[in-house]
Amino acid sequence: MPEPALVLRGIRKAYPGVVAVDDAHLELYPGEIHALVGENGAGKSTLSAIAYGETRADAGTVRASGTVGLVHQHFELVGRLRVWENVLLGREPRRGWRIDEAAARSRVLAVAERNGLAIDPNAFVETLPIGVQQRVELLRELDREPAVLLLDEPTAALAPAEIASFFATVQGLAARGAAIMIVTHKLQEVIAYATRVSVMRHGRIVAQMETAATSVDEIARAMVGGELPSVAARAATQPTPCLSVRALRAGSGETSVEDIALDVRAGEIVGIAGVEGNGQTTLADAIAGMIPYDGTISFANEGAQIGVIPQDRHREALVMPWSIVENVMLGRQHRPELRRGATLDRAHARADAQRIQERFDVRAATLDVPVRTLSGGNQQKIVVGRALIDDPNVVLAYNPTRGIDVGAAALVQSRLMQARNDGAAVLLISFELDEILALADRIAVMYRGRIVGEFERTNVDRGAIGRLMAGLS
Amino acid sequence: MTNMRRTLAGPLGAVVLLVVLMSLAMIVAGTSPLDGFSALFYGALGGRSQIGETLVATSALLFPALGIALAFRGGLFNIGAEGQLLIGALFAGAVGAQLHVAGPLGIALLLVLGAIGGGLWGAIAGWMKARFNANEIIATLMLNFVAAYVSLALVSGPLKGPLATGAETAWLDQAYWLPTLLPGTRLSIGILLALAVAVVLWWLFSRTIFGFELRAAGDAPEAARRAGIDIGRITWLSLALSGAISGVGGATIVTGELHRFNTQLSPGYGFTAIAVALVGDLQPLWICLAAFGFGILEAGGLAMQASAQVPKDAIHVIEGLIILVLAARRYVAARAETTAV
Repeated sequence: MPEPALVLRGIRKAYPGVVAVDDAHLELYPGEIHALVGENGAGKSTLSAIAYGETRADAGTVRASGTVGLVHQHFELVGRLRVWENVLLGREPRRGWRIDEAAARSRVLAVAERNGLAIDPNAFVETLPIGVQQRVELLRELDREPAVLLLDEPTAALAPAEIASFFATVQGLAARGAAIMIVTHKLQEVIAYATRVSVMRHGRIVAQMETAATSVDEIARAMVGGELPSVAARAATQPTPCLSVRALRAGSGETSVEDIALDVRAGEIVGIAGVEGNGQTTLADAIAGMIPYDGTISFANEGAQIGVIPQDRHREALVMPWSIVENVMLGRQHRPELRRGATLDRAHARADAQRIQERFDVRAATLDVPVRTLSGGNQQKIVVGRALIDDPNVVLAYNPTRGIDVGAAALVQSRLMQARNDGAAVLLISFELDEILALADRIAVMYRGRIVGEFERTNVDRGAIGRLMAGLS
Repeated sequence: MTNMRRTLAGPLGAVVLLVVLMSLAMIVAGTSPLDGFSALFYGALGGRSQIGETLVATSALLFPALGIALAFRGGLFNIGAEGQLLIGALFAGAVGAQLHVAGPLGIALLLVLGAIGGGLWGAIAGWMKARFNANEIIATLMLNFVAAYVSLALVSGPLKGPLATGAETAWLDQAYWLPTLLPGTRLSIGILLALAVAVVLWWLFSRTIFGFELRAAGDAPEAARRAGIDIGRITWLSLALSGAISGVGGATIVTGELHRFNTQLSPGYGFTAIAVALVGDLQPLWICLAAFGFGILEAGGLAMQASAQVPKDAIHVIEGLIILVLAARRYVAARAETTAV
């Protein structure tokens, strides 16, 4: 066996109140693509930050045979600078006291060519699509010729076609001898592209497997430490008209939507598939009544209630310093059962919060702790629980399981399915095609602000959806 | 660090740091800290009249501090309490000088006028923010100057009292003076009104729908907007209410202590009150305590200047230091939290 490129031995890291990483051992070998998976808060990010040298471990040793590179989940690019400026930021070749621009450009081109990445070094980063921006982020690390490359959720924002080309690049890197570790939630990609997988739970590495000899189910079971909660069954319903969108036009520029016609009937889930940034946010905001629009958005029954699960739970859904009880009141503060004259009925709100806690298995010491202190999964359970608690006619769910662990995600999906079974009209906007395929009765594909295709659950063609999402017809 | 140690170390450390800094300020001013502190505390709490003056300052600071807290909780940095207080006082003084209504009703009328004056002044900034998205810090700050010069112009001319020598209105009829609370001092029952306002604010924040929406707008504006809260309405309403509370404060100074309006009636209460509100963590009941602490500094500072030859400006240095210590504490706490994630 060759020498490992990176060795982590007995790593431990504690923060006040939690042990993030506990006695973790990991070896990465040149030429392998190693996936690191685990639920939120299992310690993946802390472990990669320690491997990268960004965070110091309390105990244990890190030994690398060369440079270690890290590509963050959220790109750390300067949009108003050019590609070459971003790639070489802080390492610009100099001529006297000036930057040698010609040398910089050719250096970036050389790195790109060596790795089979097409790029225009003079383009401004903010004008590039997400997939290309990621290429820039990757080039910045590749320029340092890393022996070890850590990738944190690299495919979260990519379309299916972009994902395939991204992994082609990564496989090329591995073939030329780099050791690669991918932190990810997407277990299908683990099976398809990684060679080995390590599973973290509660700060420890609890399983390590060859991907050729394991399955998505086995990995998921190792992640949660038991059986996965299954998603509630789809019941037979008699869909009746509920939400109807006609000739909708809203927003401006890149994210505007145009000529949208969409029906969501009571008792069905309609999924909007599409890559991030193709107008989904504008569509959701128009239906939620947050932005002005042209065209019609109408509801079959007068005074229909709409339960919204916004896309950004920290900014749009929750007041982070507030307690669970207070957050459960937010947006419902004028409901007759919650008010007594000018004051709020806190006892009633507490009972509501308790109901949500029970239905969604919210793990919190008390209902009075600030939601800021809860894990992302528990926060999202509160957001979803609040959206569903008053039995709304329409549910607008925007990436309802983004960034939460598989257990919490299965629960959220189950509750959405139950709302549908109970006769709600559910509009599900998600960037995870798998989630849409699992839940939706009908699927509409959005591309550049328009609906470019519709599928019934009974005749779904995954390949066709992927091509429509990427703008191919 | 354990939680226990952190909660204890915070306030305790701040107090120790503050005493050290105050001592340094006194040494720089040429006095021994022992003499300085004893002069300060004797001057503030050494007897009936001293306590009376301390509570007069407490009351004068408490109204604008509560008004500021209301705006701050709604996410609006109202720096204009000084001007709102002044306009409230002007309304009360100008009408009070001409008033012919039976006693208690007249007093109530003057306090309501104070609220209307201060409320209007706050609402101007609120309207500018809600309508044109004008920055409320600039708007409220600049309206302080408008208030100062408008009131100066009015009481130098049309509203000037017939026998007044400076920029003042005529005296209020004794029927419109607020009753004295502590006999033999200048302290009026205005301070009880301030405490009542604090209790009402506590109720408003913790129990009412309006308080809930106000806090949501302040703590998470985007989530508040998506929860169906009309941010524009909250903006002008909270600035108007904030100004109204400061305006009542101005009116109590006129009816309680000075018994006429004079442009010098506030030595910057509306600015010091920002520190009071922040020291009180924007919680109405803590603000009462903080106002008392600053009342000690304000009243004791004068005595310290007279007996220990520490200039009164040293007190303002100290008030500035308090804000610095506080800001540093918040910064340290925020850092401890982000690194823990």
